[in-house]
Amino acid sequence: MIDLLLSYRSVADIVLVNAVLACSQYIAFRAGVFSLGTAAFASLGAYCTALLVMQAGVHPAVATFAAMAIGGVLSALLALPLSRLRGVFQALATLALVQIVLSGTLNLTEITNGALGINGIPRPIGTLGLLAVVAVVVYILLAVGGSSIGRAFDVIREDETVAVALGISVDRHQLLAFVLSGVLGGLAGSLYAFTRYTIIPTDFGFHMLINVLAMVVLGGRLSVWGALCGATILSVLPEMFRVFADYRMEFQGGLLMLCIIFLPRGVADSVIVWYRDKRLKAQLAHQEASI
Amino acid sequence: MLLQQILNGIVVGGVYALFAMGLTLVFGVNHIMNMAHGAVFMWGAFAGLFAVTALGQSLFVALLVGMLTGGLLSVALDWIAFRPLRRRSAPLFSTIVAAFGADLVLISLAQKASNTAVMRFPFDTFPIVIFKFLGMRIQLLQIVIVAVSVLMVLGLLYFLYGSRFGLQARAVAFSENTSKLLGINPGLVNFQVFFISGALAGIAGVLIGLVFNSVHFMMGEPLLLRAFVVIILGGLGSIGGALVAGLIIGVIQTLSVAYISPGVADAIVFSLLFLVLIVRPTGLFGRAHSDLRVARR
Repeated sequence: MIDLLLSYRSVADIVLVNAVLACSQYIAFRAGVFSLGTAAFASLGAYCTALLVMQAGVHPAVATFAAMAIGGVLSALLALPLSRLRGVFQALATLALVQIVLSGTLNLTEITNGALGINGIPRPIGTLGLLAVVAVVVYILLAVGGSSIGRAFDVIREDETVAVALGISVDRHQLLAFVLSGVLGGLAGSLYAFTRYTIIPTDFGFHMLINVLAMVVLGGRLSVWGALCGATILSVLPEMFRVFADYRMEFQGGLLMLCIIFLPRGVADSVIVWYRDKRLKAQLAHQEASI
Repeated sequence: MLLQQILNGIVVGGVYALFAMGLTLVFGVNHIMNMAHGAVFMWGAFAGLFAVTALGQSLFVALLVGMLTGGLLSVALDWIAFRPLRRRSAPLFSTIVAAFGADLVLISLAQKASNTAVMRFPFDTFPIVIFKFLGMRIQLLQIVIVAVSVLMVLGLLYFLYGSRFGLQARAVAFSENTSKLLGINPGLVNFQVFFISGALAGIAGVLIGLVFNSVHFMMGEPLLLRAFVVIILGGLGSIGGALVAGLIIGVIQTLSVAYISPGVADAIVFSLLFLVLIVRPTGLFGRAHSDLRVARR
């Protein structure tokens, strides 16, 4: 039994790292920030971690915190210009960020070793360690999401004018969400570097962007459970259908399209909404019966 | 040398403008940011190449085939991905995600079709004629490209602002439901808008394939990203803006490749996007959209 579980450890690692990436994307969407910048933060985090650990000999945990700090600082700097933009403009600006980071990591060959990437990164964290990190991340996001800040995020996302009328500072909340997204992106990049042994610049390009987007759309973008659910489905499915590995991209693209057309809320959020509706109906029936 | 590089930049910029105009047209009428436009462009180039190599047709036919393929593919995209969303009046977010999905499918199908290889036009597809002018070398191909771009832009401008279709398209852009009351068929208008948009991308694909003499499945992505810079700089939804901004970006790109380094060129262009978004998000010719900024504080 233990052997069986152990043989799935590498899949579990992929699921857990992807879960952190998806959380980074989720928290931005929750506050109505249309950011696609997670891949850029992950890239910076991964390179920061790998270089600190391998060349400066820093302790891995310190390197991970440095990666989170870099993601947080960059996102805080970007939040000001982004707060002037909405919707598609934010998406394009963050898409440009991903491209700038990508061409930076490709061309600063003295530091990043260019297209060859960095190889032989040590692995200081086990599957249980990753699980603990994800648990902490989920706990923090649940705590933030359940507090008044989370409610404020919801109002801002649904209708900014209402949020302003309620005295909610849109700029400040979106700054918070975007910085959280940056910190989690940096953390995910750091874990990615630790679990993959090797990183190349194109790991963190267009494909990662779509992959992360697909996880959040498939799972559901309004709750942490959606992000976790999406990350699990999209990491496990390709491993289960190894036979169709050649058609992985077509499958993923098609799934993204079908999902947004027929299940726009995503799997987890649809279930949550369905369950809530059912409970409300039961309560109503109960009340009517007692009258 | 500088003049020569500027000329080269204008030629490339002309093709950027062709590509970006389709993107901005669809955004202007349907408020859809078509992330799959690069894939349509790439399939246009594939179809043009197929017409030349497998069917042995002339370049003119290749341009027509590329145009037709791009247009039909774009219409198919609208029917499969965007129309169901439009019917539900889904938010902008959904259309972008659906377009990303379509992009992924189209690109990986092209990868299968081309075996991940870089394909080339046969050597004698286009006669190499070089004119000398004020110390610059101008190829006939470059002249043809500029001519095709100018022709397409003028045609599109006439179509949008001088014909009945343009009036209808602008009515649909204003409000699809109101246009229905006025006896306009929005389905027909959307068909034409997507066809024109895709056809422009298809032509741009064949032309870019000829200029750099390489056709491969990843050729759409860098162009799509540059086209975003073009349409933001020109102002979203502005056709003339896309033309001017396309030329500007083409020249900046070529000059930075020639005088600084090819790697930095992309970083410069995308930093320019950031700069425009911070200083003047509406671009050179755009008008302020009501959805761009919500009044607050």
